[in-house]
Amino acid sequence: MSDSPVPALDGAGGATPLATQPPLTKVELAKSSFCGLDLAARLDELASMGWESLDEATLTIHLKWLGIFFRPVTPGRFMVRLRLPNGLISADQLEVLAEVVDRCGDHGSADITTRQNIQLRGLLLEDMAPLMNCLERVGLTSRQSGHDNPRNITGNPLAGIDPDEFVDTRPLVGAIQNVLLGPDGPRNLPRKFNVAVGGAPDSFLLHNDLAYLPALWQGELGFTVMVGGFFSAQRNELAIPLGLWLRADELPLFTLAVLRHYERRGDRTTRQRSRVMYLIEALGIDAYRDEVLETLRSLGGGAGDAVLNDGPHLVSRAPRDICGVHPQKQPGLCWVGLNVPMGRLDSAALYRLVELARGYGSGELRFSESQNVLIVDVPTQRVAALLEEPLLRRFPSDPGPLLAEAVSCTGNHYCGLALIPTKSTALAVLQELEQRLVLPEALRNHWTGCPNACGQPYMGQIGLMGAKARKEGQMVEAVKIFLGGSMADDPQLAVLYEKAVPLSDLPDVLETLLVERFGASRRNTSA
Amino acid sequence: MVRRPGPSSVPVPLLAPELPFEPDPGALPAPGHADRWTWLLSLRRQRPLVLEPWLLAIEVGQLEPEADLLAVLADQLDADAAIRLLRFWLQNPERSPSLPNLVGRVRDTAVADLLAAALADGGEGRLDSVCQTLLLPLLGHQRRSGDFPLLQKLVLQPGPRQVRQSALEGLILGLSAWPLPALRSTLVSLASDLDPLLAGAAVDALARLPNARSPLSLLERSSLEASVAERLQRRLRALPTSSLLLLVHGRADGFIPPDIRSLAAELEQRRGAPVRLRALTDPSPLPPEPLGDSLSLIPLFLLPGGHVRHDVPAIATALRRQGPVRLLPFLGAWPCWQRALAFEVVQGAADRARPRWLHHPIAGRLAVRYLAHLERVTGAACIQTPEAHNDLVALAGDQRGGLMPLCLGASRLSECLVPLLGEAAAAPLLARPALREGLLQALEVLP
Repeated sequence: MSDSPVPALDGAGGATPLATQPPLTKVELAKSSFCGLDLAARLDELASMGWESLDEATLTIHLKWLGIFFRPVTPGRFMVRLRLPNGLISADQLEVLAEVVDRCGDHGSADITTRQNIQLRGLLLEDMAPLMNCLERVGLTSRQSGHDNPRNITGNPLAGIDPDEFVDTRPLVGAIQNVLLGPDGPRNLPRKFNVAVGGAPDSFLLHNDLAYLPALWQGELGFTVMVGGFFSAQRNELAIPLGLWLRADELPLFTLAVLRHYERRGDRTTRQRSRVMYLIEALGIDAYRDEVLETLRSLGGGAGDAVLNDGPHLVSRAPRDICGVHPQKQPGLCWVGLNVPMGRLDSAALYRLVELARGYGSGELRFSESQNVLIVDVPTQRVAALLEEPLLRRFPSDPGPLLAEAVSCTGNHYCGLALIPTKSTALAVLQELEQRLVLPEALRNHWTGCPNACGQPYMGQIGLMGAKARKEGQMVEAVKIFLGGSMADDPQLAVLYEKAVPLSDLPDVLETLLVERFGASRRNTSA
Repeated sequence: MVRRPGPSSVPVPLLAPELPFEPDPGALPAPGHADRWTWLLSLRRQRPLVLEPWLLAIEVGQLEPEADLLAVLADQLDADAAIRLLRFWLQNPERSPSLPNLVGRVRDTAVADLLAAALADGGEGRLDSVCQTLLLPLLGHQRRSGDFPLLQKLVLQPGPRQVRQSALEGLILGLSAWPLPALRSTLVSLASDLDPLLAGAAVDALARLPNARSPLSLLERSSLEASVAERLQRRLRALPTSSLLLLVHGRADGFIPPDIRSLAAELEQRRGAPVRLRALTDPSPLPPEPLGDSLSLIPLFLLPGGHVRHDVPAIATALRRQGPVRLLPFLGAWPCWQRALAFEVVQGAADRARPRWLHHPIAGRLAVRYLAHLERVTGAACIQTPEAHNDLVALAGDQRGGLMPLCLGASRLSECLVPLLGEAAAAPLLARPALREGLLQALEVLP
């Protein structure tokens, strides 16, 4: 392992001597005081003390190791983010979540996230201990779903039912999660870390820190390793080839090696420059790969057999619109993709989804990165009846081309950083535009409330970012518009097109844009 | 095929500016300025932040208390700073509706005093309902049990809906800090409120309290608005319910009388959870199959005899080898059962002499003390069943008062008494509707 300017927590790997290193950040100091997982046994005690009694580090950092998020905008009402590997959930599990949300009354809601995950809002600290027991009982966990941890691992939302898939990602994603949450998994990364496994021609995953894309080597199907993708307020990168091809059974241990290496070698002095891409750049891609392989060897992996390649893979097109009725690869069965506007669910919708999954499908549901939900294993002869269900008037299987591919962050209703109410704004604007325009195809639009880019605006054909603007002498809510994002075979990140368009002007501005650049036609003129 | 990502880096000019150690409030870009967001992001990272210039700038009107600025300051406020900002807001509530929620979460006696004073008697008319609505949850955050009466009053008394909802939110946010019986009775009252939103939220809050099944089950018998009743059912379904194992004496070969079996069946239906029966006389081994995550062992014995003192603990020990077991006191010791017996005595004595309890033979100091206690509570004498039948006949003929067999279900004693006292008078306790219903209710609400 070569020397590098990258500081290390334990001095391993020949990093700069500790005496000459910049000081650790406040967050790092807090994290090193104890592991947030240790709070699991104390949740009842913390609840009886009251959240206001907790020190800031416990409240805003350590609890996130259990997936519990303090929300400054709704103090006392917490968020819990689960882990749903590959976006899978059973009706029994979803019913538990429905009950949790329902018990929060008007404060309760659930959001489908851009990592095929779900997060619950409106919970009290008193709810946490029983909730954790409840989740465990039905095979769910919220562990290490926030802060500097490996986040929910995504996979093909159609895994195992996809006529186009190369490989079923479900067992791979599950195996990786098991290793990462197991006794040898990382507990204190320098920053968050996203892992994804692709299984189909449309598995766009280059926004992840570590992505496995299906690839052939000498006729064998395996995975090309891509590293370093991330979005932030400071910088946005798509993942680059690490120069390795792996067999499917190598993914879990290799992932562990990448994370253990990152845990040891990542920058802990400047949080804005801590994502793994900075480490790759500091070391150089070849040295980085060598160090990861050395870590893999230390874990007992067969790094000597590593196949070097230059990044070929089988992902060749942008993700499909999963809404609608589609035949599965199993004869006689369909998946029905429902559009959940902006991914927001309430308890009534959750209960109804449970009933539909049980009544029409196999009792399994899936969430997509486009914040939509799938009911799978629906017999073909039952599809017509499912499409008549009242819930499908709220969550249509045939949404308009703008709503179908709309992705949104939380917005300022729940997030103190967001500059606009993202979800409600997006919904209102898109519904208005759907009324005005006819589009030739679904158009991916991503809405985010602030430059932190949680809504991934750079991935959208149109991206919108919350801002403020002056209009008629008044300061008003606005958005910046980004254009040109592509997840097809020549991936591109969207670039800034328009600074600060007041929200009141947005429908007109977008209408013009859609007509001029995206082939939309106006309903009144096309009639 | 070789695919490489296209030019991926987006030059985003958003790097947070390097700020001096003590950023000047006057340098904060105005709302809407392109640099404001990143400036505030840098300010957020200044730790510790010297608050004084920022507080002063707000107080003198140099800075508007915009939500984005307050969100940054809120992370670092101490009690004094929070009080200053709250006082500023109380004088200018219209200038920043988001202020209380952002800065009022500092838990401190002085902050709590300020909030309580502002809210007492509607702020002496100074606070409109909108302002009260903003402050009431904050008072709940303070978790001072002394503030419970104010929140209770505001949630129960007629008033603007938003104030009542806000007072309830205050109660919910401080849930574990309030006196439990008072909180429980407040929420039970509220569950029948005409406002279904308030009533529903009260049901949800009740479901979070310890031993929630008991008050929720009792609410089932109330007349609730339809949506609230449905909500109540959902909460009850989700509450963990432990299995019950009812332990009775039984007759030969473990036979359990039909009235006890019927009680268990009805109880299982009401609880929606398994209820099993076991007789001491059952020669078969204890249930070998798992008894679920949680089991409560209920000794349905009326007297503290040898079975209660020796057999029941032995059975509990054996069951605990299979999993956790909660052993309850024997039925005769339950105050609610003793009150029900007393009521039965009063009912039985309404048109004749006060009856006497005819109980199985029992010995020992504990038994003597218990029987004396039962006599005191029920006002009925306890008489041991004589061994000789002739003596029993004589006792039954005694004109000083009636006899009531102190046995739960049909037994040899109750059957012997039928020809002597008649069917009704000789009926075992479970054949008496009020006692049976009372026992069912007590068992139904067990965790």
